[in-house]
Amino acid sequence: MRPCDSHECSQLNELKVDMAALNMLSGWVENGNTIMIEQMPIFGGYCGMVEETAICDVASTLASFALFHGNYHLDGPIHIRWGITTSRETIQIAAHVAAAIDANTDLLLANQYYPIAGPCTEMCLLETAAQAIADTASGRELLSGSAAAKGVAQDKTTGMEARIMGEAAKATAGMKIADVNKILEKLVSSYEKNYAKAPAGKDFRQCYDVLTVKPTAEYLKVYEGAVKALAGFGLEIKN
Amino acid sequence: MATARPLTICDVYDGFLAGKKLTEDEWDYDIIPTNATKLKDKYKLNFGKNMVPEDKSTMNNLFAAGLEMLVSTGFYNSDLKRVLKISETDVWEGIKKTPKQIILGEGRDCARFYPRRGNSPVKPIIQGGPTGAPVSEDVFVQVMQSYAQESVVDTIVNGVMATIEGHPAITNTPYEIRALMAEIRGVREATVRAGRPYIAI
Repeated sequence: MRPCDSHECSQLNELKVDMAALNMLSGWVENGNTIMIEQMPIFGGYCGMVEETAICDVASTLASFALFHGNYHLDGPIHIRWGITTSRETIQIAAHVAAAIDANTDLLLANQYYPIAGPCTEMCLLETAAQAIADTASGRELLSGSAAAKGVAQDKTTGMEARIMGEAAKATAGMKIADVNKILEKLVSSYEKNYAKAPAGKDFRQCYDVLTVKPTAEYLKVYEGAVKALAGFGLEIKN
Repeated sequence: MATARPLTICDVYDGFLAGKKLTEDEWDYDIIPTNATKLKDKYKLNFGKNMVPEDKSTMNNLFAAGLEMLVSTGFYNSDLKRVLKISETDVWEGIKKTPKQIILGEGRDCARFYPRRGNSPVKPIIQGGPTGAPVSEDVFVQVMQSYAQESVVDTIVNGVMATIEGHPAITNTPYEIRALMAEIRGVREATVRAGRPYIAI
């Protein structure tokens, strides 16, 4: 690992840390490593609801810099019922936290992605785009993902989800916040009723030719469908 | 009062040792929810319907509430079962000492990690990868290459190699470390295959 690569260390929920983390950090600081501190506050958990979770999230983020020598903080408010970061509530928490810290400091802020649907589904791409839109508009500096299918299913993640994350971010950068909120309202409403029957998606081997590492024609078609749907909600992604 | 210096990791450890003893249940079920609710009420926070805040007062009140949460509540060490207290001055000193501009990666594959300031026209850095999701050993390089080859991706975050030479990469076993080292080699191979050998991981 080079000084320009990142080492990741996690806090625990909520406002907690263990000795393993402190011991790792001690070595990384002396080595001059770039340190990313992660924490995923749980909406509906110990903190409570949206505003309380956001308060704990701001506190956790500040702790990453004040206590743990973080160079950047990787957020990821997560929904206690669905285990995702792309729900209305968790997107709202992350966006408010980023905007609050951005307005008061010049710290470097990141967020991570856990949609409920799996790869090669329009729902997965729309969830990912929604979070990317909110993260970008709220001033985050780095988007990290995406762990489709809640990040728990083996081989259910592919580069195509990162493509939509990046393209949605590019299309959002510079937009008026009022316009962004209108898009988000329509976009999130389009998928949030489907969590209970979210499509599991396909395995990497069914999404890509494993030899050439090219996405399948089927996935490219699904991607184009998602881009078209986003245009309908007001976000134009240029090819 | 002025601080002597920004807190070091050893200062933080010493602070935990000197902190109040508390059970983890008290922390989780009493201290955290009670203080968070108190501060929500004190700062009259109500996000309403907007997913991204449009008014400065909500942003500033949330920041003040979060800062007060950290200072008034402290931080808990789950091994030592003790609470570290931190002053507001220490928080600001920590913010002040943090570098605000970082270069991730090298050469032509580097990404400039600078503050964006609101919804700047500059896009955020795109860190592509499975973000810790499990990936089979036999397709690990290909999965990572699928991210590295995306032109919109600026840096890489790895998945977790589910096995190493067929053995589960179980925490606190030598297989965990062996799998970790294989992950790093695998990500490097993927970035080379994608023509971006110096991209940050």
